[in-house]
Amino acid sequence: MPGTPISVNMAMVDPGKELSRADIKRMEKAYGLNKPWPQAYMLWVKNVVQFDFGRSISRKQPVARLIMERIGPTLILSVSSLLLTYLLAIPIGLYSSARQGRLDERTTGTILYMLYSFPSFVAALFLQIYLANKLGWLPLYGMKSDGYSSMTATQQAWDIFKHALMPVICYTYGSLAYYSRFIRANMQEVLRQDYIRTARAKGLGPVNVLVKHAFRNTFIPLVTLIGLTLPSLLGGSVIIERIFSWPGMGQLYFESILERDYPTIMGLTLMFSILTLAGQLMADIFYALADPRVKIADH
Amino acid sequence: MQEQSETAENTTSEQKTVKKSPSFWAETWQRFKGRKMAMLALIYICFLGFVAVFAPAIAGTKPVICKYKGHIYFPALGYFRREWENPIFLKDRFRNRYPVNLKKKDPNSWAIWPLVYQDPYRRVYDNEWKGLPGNPTQDNGAPSLRNWFGTDQRGVDVFTQMVHGTTIALLVGFVSMGIAGVIGIIVGALAGFYGKWIDMVLSRLIEVVMCIPTLILILAIIAIIDSPTIWHMMAIIGCTGWTGIARLARAEFMKLRESDFVLAAKTTGVGQFRIIFRYILPNSLAPVLVPITFGIAAAILIESGLSFLGFGAPPPNPSWGTLLNLGRQNLQMWWLIVFPGMAIFLAVLAYNLIGEGIQEASDPRLRDAN
Repeated sequence: MPGTPISVNMAMVDPGKELSRADIKRMEKAYGLNKPWPQAYMLWVKNVVQFDFGRSISRKQPVARLIMERIGPTLILSVSSLLLTYLLAIPIGLYSSARQGRLDERTTGTILYMLYSFPSFVAALFLQIYLANKLGWLPLYGMKSDGYSSMTATQQAWDIFKHALMPVICYTYGSLAYYSRFIRANMQEVLRQDYIRTARAKGLGPVNVLVKHAFRNTFIPLVTLIGLTLPSLLGGSVIIERIFSWPGMGQLYFESILERDYPTIMGLTLMFSILTLAGQLMADIFYALADPRVKIADH
Repeated sequence: MQEQSETAENTTSEQKTVKKSPSFWAETWQRFKGRKMAMLALIYICFLGFVAVFAPAIAGTKPVICKYKGHIYFPALGYFRREWENPIFLKDRFRNRYPVNLKKKDPNSWAIWPLVYQDPYRRVYDNEWKGLPGNPTQDNGAPSLRNWFGTDQRGVDVFTQMVHGTTIALLVGFVSMGIAGVIGIIVGALAGFYGKWIDMVLSRLIEVVMCIPTLILILAIIAIIDSPTIWHMMAIIGCTGWTGIARLARAEFMKLRESDFVLAAKTTGVGQFRIIFRYILPNSLAPVLVPITFGIAAAILIESGLSFLGFGAPPPNPSWGTLLNLGRQNLQMWWLIVFPGMAIFLAVLAYNLIGEGIQEASDPRLRDAN
């Protein structure tokens, strides 16, 4: 994508109003764009080490503040979707391992498999067509209605709830399918173990065996999954936030690419990378905490 | 494995009576065939491959074969590459209107036409094809007998765009996972076969690359490159998506390097290079195919997602994701969303089913259960 933050900015405002060469030079110097990239990168690293992420060129604000503004909306979506996923996936996973091989289990299994392969952006468009456009039940996009500031607190919450419903569904169904299949697969493995046979032999009820004996062991890999979802928890999904014009981090990333806003792109990319690393580390630590056989300081 | 059986056949006849054990591949294929859904998915992918290869013969405005001024030409090849369309048609000013111009410029010419006379790049006008009215534009292009999947805002036929978009969808999957497969298998093979410090270094490399968020990296690189093409995208997906393959290949190599046939090969003095590629690799390939097929599904998702955001293949190129993006701008035109959306879904589903089929067919624990 050609263009610099300055040329793009001006072309957007008014195509006829081009900056003079001297003005561009002056602005490039002011934003530090005139340096060769290795030098500019060293400067950026030096500033980041001092927790200075620079200022956004197109928005004239510090990058750190821009990111802080967008964290809230992203968390609304990701935290509620994560809670919903766990609340639904565990019962579904347990149910399908209890009714292994029956017709209802196979039907839910097939549906979950389909959902798992269904692209979330296609689902988002289908929901928009049906729920928003045809039935008119939910707002098409955005996070708040026009008269948001004049509403009471409950009305405001209801308003955000209505706006968040479709994005949360799109976030949730894929991971719901993944998690419940994951639980079922692990349960199948555990249920073959000897100690399950022992538990059954001594006359424990099926619920007791399933929940207390088997599920506790499948809980270990499940816990580590939380660590791996950390990046998406804060990073949001660029595509989903874009479709629903949700003012979160993914949308900010998308906008800053269109505006060639390098400081914001760099800041967000750095943040996503750190989150991914932290998530991997968390997964390992959780594993050691949940499973006493794994020790952190081994070898 | 092969070598062993060959030498066995060359020796005495009493050894021949020992039933030759089926190779790992044959066994895996046998079990894969038993899985109905996986086979169905494989057939569907073959069908998509067929559509991708014969796209210009299925839908297009250029004749598949034509005789013009005494020579035989294949103008439809121009859909794959501009240069493959014979320059004579450019010189004679056909301007992509073949039916009229063929008759006008050479009355003795004949041509075999694609099954559907529609173009993936432009609108078809009135009477371009005798008696065929032009495509509707704006939001009037609902699916009809002439335009099975409707037309987009510019009046370009959606069915034709989807047929030609199949090429991109399949290509992205194969090329990016081809790159990832080569990197992953080499890294995994080296780490698993040699172990020690090589394994140590390569495992850390795998962990570092695993931390790179693909979509974010692609978007960041697109922001930097002057004229991004579909090939850049494939290269990035390939260069970041090999970690799962490498980990599995590493585990397989670690397991197989201790096995008897490798020991036998070592004692007979077979070189290391040959042991890695001729002895271990063929036996470790089936499990490694699992992350590759899942990776193809993911690559298709990333490509259509990027095209959907407007960062994919440049605009005139037909892609399923680009059609979705057009549909997003006008949600009333449901046919721009439903048909490409289902195409993406089915392709991803098919690859996931195949991947799962291979996984279960090559898993020794499940093998014993059967």
